[in-house]
Amino acid sequence: MSVSVRRILAGAATGALLLGLTTGCGSSGSTSSDGTVTLRYAIWDAVQKPALEKSIAAFEKQHPNIKVKIELNAWAQYWSKLQTQLAGRTAPDVFWDHVAYFPQFAQQGVLADLTPYIKADKLDTSVYDPKLLSGWEQDGKQYGLPKDWDTIAQVYNKTMLKAAGLTQEQLSALSWNTADGGTFVKALQKLTIDENGKHPDEAGFDSKHVKQYGLALASPNGQTDWWNAATQNGCKLQDKAWGKWTIDQPSCVEAIQFIRDLRLKYHVAVPASVTNTPNGAALPQVMARKQAAVVWDGSWDLNAYQSSMQDNFGVAELPSGPVGKGTVYNGLSNALYTGSAHPKEAWELVKWLGSEESQKIIVATGSVWPGIPTLNQEFVDVWKKKGVDVSAFSEEAAGTTTGYPLTTSSATYNIKVLDAFNQVWLGQQSAQKAAESVNEQSNAAVK
Amino acid sequence: MEAYILLTPSLIGFLLFLLAPIAGVVVISFFDWNLMGSPRFVGLANYREIAGDSEVWRAVRNTVYYVVLNIPAQTVLALLLALAMNRRMRGGKVLRVLFVLPWMAMPVALGIVWNWAFDPQHGVINQFLSLFGVDGPAWLSSTTWAMPVLASVNVWQYTGYTMLFLLAGLQAIPESLYEAADLDGAGPVQRFFRITLPLLRPSMFFVLVTNTIGSFQMFDTVYVMTQGGPGGSTDTMNFHIYQQAFQLFRSGYASALAMLLFALILLVTAAQVLYFRKRTVYDFS
Repeated sequence: MSVSVRRILAGAATGALLLGLTTGCGSSGSTSSDGTVTLRYAIWDAVQKPALEKSIAAFEKQHPNIKVKIELNAWAQYWSKLQTQLAGRTAPDVFWDHVAYFPQFAQQGVLADLTPYIKADKLDTSVYDPKLLSGWEQDGKQYGLPKDWDTIAQVYNKTMLKAAGLTQEQLSALSWNTADGGTFVKALQKLTIDENGKHPDEAGFDSKHVKQYGLALASPNGQTDWWNAATQNGCKLQDKAWGKWTIDQPSCVEAIQFIRDLRLKYHVAVPASVTNTPNGAALPQVMARKQAAVVWDGSWDLNAYQSSMQDNFGVAELPSGPVGKGTVYNGLSNALYTGSAHPKEAWELVKWLGSEESQKIIVATGSVWPGIPTLNQEFVDVWKKKGVDVSAFSEEAAGTTTGYPLTTSSATYNIKVLDAFNQVWLGQQSAQKAAESVNEQSNAAVK
Repeated sequence: MEAYILLTPSLIGFLLFLLAPIAGVVVISFFDWNLMGSPRFVGLANYREIAGDSEVWRAVRNTVYYVVLNIPAQTVLALLLALAMNRRMRGGKVLRVLFVLPWMAMPVALGIVWNWAFDPQHGVINQFLSLFGVDGPAWLSSTTWAMPVLASVNVWQYTGYTMLFLLAGLQAIPESLYEAADLDGAGPVQRFFRITLPLLRPSMFFVLVTNTIGSFQMFDTVYVMTQGGPGGSTDTMNFHIYQQAFQLFRSGYASALAMLLFALILLVTAAQVLYFRKRTVYDFS
C-alpha cells in the first residue's frame, strides 16, 4: 500500500483514531501485591491542588492501605476527557462534579448513589448547607457530598484603589444603570489611566494607549461576568430549573450590553482581545501584570491572587444594578464513579473529603469556602490573618443569588456562548443577536 | 506462507488500529450515539443534517481556505530553500537541521509559544511592529487575521520538512544534464524551468499530495491557539469533528462528518493524481 493511500485512509480514520484513544487511557484504581489500593481522583483547578494534597496526606495516614493519585486536567479539557474515560470505562474512582454536567451524568448512570453508604455509616448530612446538599440530589438519590461553595466578588489592587481615593466600602456600595453607567462607571473612570495620565471622562483621553484599566472581566460561560450583571438587572437565565433558556429577554440583553459598554463605550475595562478565552490572559495574571485595578472573579481564585500580589489585594462586593445586588452562587461536589473497582475505598475518600476534618484542613489553607457552613467563620479568620477581608463573598451569598443553570444542554451552551460572546466583547456582534442565537441553539439541545 | 507469518505483526496492527476503526466510523455514522448509552440506528439522518448545517459548510470553507493559504506558500518556500541548500557550502548541514527542527517539535508546545508571540500587547510580533510605529492587530481575536496566523505557523513548521524531500529530488538530477544545457547556451532561468522543475516532478507529486492531505486534517494548531474562534473563523473540519464527538458527544454525527472529510480529501487527491499522470516523468534511476 502506497504512502499516499495510507494517508487518505488516515483521513477517514480521524474520528476513529480519536475514538480509539478512549481505550488507552489507563485503568481504574489498582490493587498492588501488598494489598494497597490506589484510587484515582480527578480535579480541574491547579490553584486548589496544594490544599487538596494536604487533606489527602491526612487521609492516607488514617488509611494506610489506600493511596490517592490526583489527576489534574484543566477545565477546558476536563469534561471531554472525563466523558471519554467514562465511555471507555476507565474513569477515575472519585472526581469533581459540577452542576452543569451533573444532570447528564446522573442520567447516564455513572454516578454512584451515596444514600446506602450514608445510611450504613450513619453519616450526619445535616451539617451541610441544605441548598448545597439538595443540589446533588435527584429522585431521592444523593450523588455527591458538598465540597465547597463560591460566589463572585470584586478583587481589587489596594495600592491602585488608594491612589484613586476610593475605599473598599465605597467600592462595595457602587451601582450601575443602562443610561449613564452610574457611580460604578464613574469609579472605574477614576481607576482608568492612559499613558498621559488622563482618565476616560477627560478630553484628550487616548483609548488606544491605556496604562491601567479600572476593570478586567473574563469568563468562558458568563459565570464571572455577565451572569452577575444579569442577576443585578432581574434577568433569569432560564424560565425554570431544567426548563428553557431565556437569555434573549430584554433584562438579560441589557446586562450583556452593559458589560460590552464597559469595554467599548466607556473604555474602563481591559479589551476583549486581551481577556477572551482561549488565548486570553487569566484574571489573576491580568492583576499580576497591573493591567487592571479591579476584577470580577470567583472565591476559588483567592490563593492565586495571594501568590501574585501577597496582601496587596482586597475583596469588595459586586455593584448593584437597576434591580439591586446579585451574584452567581455555585458549589462543587465529589462524585463516586459507578465503575470503580474499589467502591468501598472510594466511598471512604468521598466521605473524608466531605468531612469536617478534611474541610478544616482545606479552609486553613484559604483555598475555598467550605460545604459545611459552621466552618465559614474559620475561613474568614484565616484570610483576616493574611490581611484580607473576604466577607464580601459571604455577604453576597446571603443576598440575591442566581444558581448555576440546571439543564441538559450545558455542553452546547458552553460552546455556543464562548464563540458568540467573545465576538460581542470585541464589538463584532450585537448583544441582541448573540443572545438570540445562543438561546435558540441551546434550547434546541435541551433534552 | 512464511511471508504471511512475518507480516502478521504489522497486519494485526493495521487491522486493529486502522481498518477496524475506519469500519467503526462508517457504521457509527448511521447511528445516534453519545458514547455512553446504547446507539440508536437513524439511517441517513446524520448525512441529511450535514446538508442543512451551515456550520459544517463554514468548516469546509475554512478548511479549504487554510489549505489554499498553506500549500502554495509552503511549497514555494521549501523549493527556494532546497535550491539554496543544493550547493556545497560551509555549515550547510547545520542549516538543514535548523530548518527541520520546527517539524520535530511538539505542535502543542509550539502553539503555546506562538500564542505568546502573537499576544496583542506583550507579544514579540507587535512589540517588533511598534518599533516602526505600526500598531499591530489583535491577531488571534480578528476574524481576518486568525486563519492566516494559523497558516503561517504551519508553514513555518513544515517548510523545512518539505524541503528535505525536494532537496533529495534535486540531488537525484544528474549533473550531466546541466552540463549539456550549458553547452547549448541555456541560462539559469531556462535551466530551472526546462530541467530542474520537470525532473523534480516525482518529489513534487509526493510533497503536494501528502501535504495537502495533512493540511485538510489540521487540528492541533487550531485546538491550542484558537479553539475554532473568533466567530468560528478557524473552525476547520477536523476541529468541528472533535467538537461534535468529544465536547457534544455526538459520535454518530461526528463520524458522518469524518466521512465527508474523507470524500473531500479523496476528491482533491484524485484531481492531483490525474494532473500529474498527464505529465511525463523522467526516470534516471
